[in-house]
Amino acid sequence: MDFQLSDDQSVLMTALDGLAERFQSKPTEHHGFVLFNEELEQELAQGEFFDIAIVPDFGAVSAAMAVEKLARLPYAAEIALSMLVRPHLRDGALPRPFAVVENGRPGRFVANAKTLLLVEGDQVSLAHPEAGDAEAVESIYAYPMGALTKQISATPLPADEAETVRTWLRVALAAEACGLIHGAIDSTVEHISVRKQFGRPIGTFQALRHRMAECATLAGGLRWLVLKAAATGDAGDAALAAFQAQDVGTRVCYETHQMLGAMGMTLEHPLHLWTYRIKALLSDLGGRGGQADAVGRTCFEADAS
Amino acid sequence: MDFGWNAEQERFRATVRAFLKDNLPADWETQAEGPGSHKQTAFSRVFCAKLAEAGLLIPHWPKQWGGREADPWTAFILAEEMWMAGEPRGGQYMNVNWIGPTLMRYGSEAQQQRYIPPMARGEVIWCQGFSEPEAGSDLASLRTKAEKNGDTYVINGQKIWTSYAGDAETCFLLARTSPGKSGISIFLLPMDTPGIIVRQIPSVIGEGDIHEVFFDDVTLPETALLGQEGQAWEISRYSLQLERVGIPRFALASRMLHRAVGRLKQAGRFEGDAVTQAARANAACEAARLYNYSIIDQRARNLSTGPEASAARYCTVMAERAVGEFVVEHNADALAGADPMLLAHHQRAIVAGIASGAAEIQLNIIATEFLQLPREPR
Ligand SMILES: Cc1cc2nc3c(=O)[nH]c(=O)nc-3n(C[C@H](O)[C@H](O)[C@H](O)COP(=O)(O)OP(=O)(O)OC[C@H]3O[C@@H](n4cnc5c(N)ncnc54)[C@H](O)[C@@H]3O)c2cc1C
Repeated sequence: MDFQLSDDQSVLMTALDGLAERFQSKPTEHHGFVLFNEELEQELAQGEFFDIAIVPDFGAVSAAMAVEKLARLPYAAEIALSMLVRPHLRDGALPRPFAVVENGRPGRFVANAKTLLLVEGDQVSLAHPEAGDAEAVESIYAYPMGALTKQISATPLPADEAETVRTWLRVALAAEACGLIHGAIDSTVEHISVRKQFGRPIGTFQALRHRMAECATLAGGLRWLVLKAAATGDAGDAALAAFQAQDVGTRVCYETHQMLGAMGMTLEHPLHLWTYRIKALLSDLGGRGGQADAVGRTCFEADAS
Repeated sequence: MDFGWNAEQERFRATVRAFLKDNLPADWETQAEGPGSHKQTAFSRVFCAKLAEAGLLIPHWPKQWGGREADPWTAFILAEEMWMAGEPRGGQYMNVNWIGPTLMRYGSEAQQQRYIPPMARGEVIWCQGFSEPEAGSDLASLRTKAEKNGDTYVINGQKIWTSYAGDAETCFLLARTSPGKSGISIFLLPMDTPGIIVRQIPSVIGEGDIHEVFFDDVTLPETALLGQEGQAWEISRYSLQLERVGIPRFALASRMLHRAVGRLKQAGRFEGDAVTQAARANAACEAARLYNYSIIDQRARNLSTGPEASAARYCTVMAERAVGEFVVEHNADALAGADPMLLAHHQRAIVAGIASGAAEIQLNIIATEFLQLPREPR
């Protein structure tokens, strides 16, 4: 066991912090469902950050840390799939942005994706959509959502590669959710520290303090599950991280909105930019039931049957 | 970052496992007595003496006191293996984890010579006399009095929930020498001193675990005071640091989860909600494991651990809860005679959020020190 960052990783994280600086807060005049800015992805591409998983000194753990860190920003960007799934495809240099279409339903970044992963049950196929194949869809999720306009031709991945892809989809989902969860918690802690009712900050009421402390503890535990899953690439570790991400995410969406009162319903306050991205992730790969099945298959293999 | 064990750590774990295999009775895991029972306490004296001989009782202690200054990982691996094996050290885990090291720091020369070597040999049982009927979470309100009388102290009052009190030779006792939080002192009290009455409290967690202890004009020489009068809070803070993350309960919880799933699979009932609840419990155990490891990692690198240690503890409480609830819902027969191991674990697990301080106190610490939320008004 050694949880220390290498010098290279520390430098990388500092570089990402610098890059993220400009995207730390929602512009006050912005009142949309989604906060999306191509510049963030452009800067990440220019800095070759999308390839950190395949740089030996960094690896997938660094990529997971990067995804998690950047998901704490209020800005949506296609980072998780590019950083954590793309490098694990047999052709690791497919064009990005990436997107997933699960059982034909609308997905994040689908309208602009250059590579699509079509997921139907255990099957995963790969497609490169052409103009008109996909379109933007209105939604209250805080991602640009899109859907296919027609059935498109796709290449099924062999079973072993599909399994690998599903594992890394789980790592990507968990890493992104983990950052979003931390973002939502930070935003809520800030609010309840200053919002006063009954003559004192509402964050002094134990009924809120304890729930927030529990959320923060769950989020901290989740982060370790994510990093371990990225380090091992193990299907069981990935399933556990994804299960916990969706379970904790569900809880944190409720708690954070509850603690913001009506303010949390507005587009003026940024909370929804985290929670409505978390909500978009909660149904991925069959939701908690889907992850639980994967945990059941992979983590209890050795127990008597 | 590395989530595996190095060769030395693997070897050490294997050594501890081999020792357990050779020295635990064959029926150890199905014995029904509670961990604080007379039988298990008597066994712990034999077992710990052998552990000491094998160099596995106090590897993390300084050389001066018979240890080999092993790193925090070694101590934690040892704690994991012992707890997973049903803690055959009984109450002596407290000696090696914090009572001994606290005496090394704050004890007088005479106290150290008297008390530390028998601990290092694995021969003695201590109990911890902190809680009182009116002072649980609010420990600073304790009332047991120690009055100076010439060169003696006279103790009057009552402790409660005291584990191992029925068999302990010595009590690490908190008593009041003057009013207020700064008026609490620590005494090293031989339990055979006249005026002490110990009564066992029947409980759902097994025989011999918790007791009431009454003190009626118990007279002690002033040399029984640890450190200075009023130094209890400072000393306790030090002891607490030694026990930063507490018992590695997640390790046994995880093992019992796998056992419970194995039983379900055998019965062809590992399906539906049982799978979801098992996944939830498994995630809770692994999150607790890694969170605890992250704290040990900081300690191994001599970094101060801060309020995240409270989060690690609380993760452990959540893991125990998730496994406990899974067993009750999906292995109901285990609590009715079908699986003594799952039953024994259940009895240990239900105290996880209480026995070493209520979980809510950890949540208060996390809210104030980790999240930096404004404090509750008092
Ligand atoms: C198996 C077992 C072994 C033990 N062994 C020992 C021992 O050897 N020596 C010893 O001294 N003690 C021992 N204890 C006692 C233990 O330290 C206390 O139980 C613990 O400190 C809680 O105190 P209490 O039980 O009086 O609960 P209380 O203080 O009455 O609290 C009850 C509940 O109220 C809530 N609560 C209390 N304070 C707050 C607060 N500030 N904010 C929010 N909620 C709060 C919590 O939910 C708490 O669980 C043992 C307990 C158990 C169960």
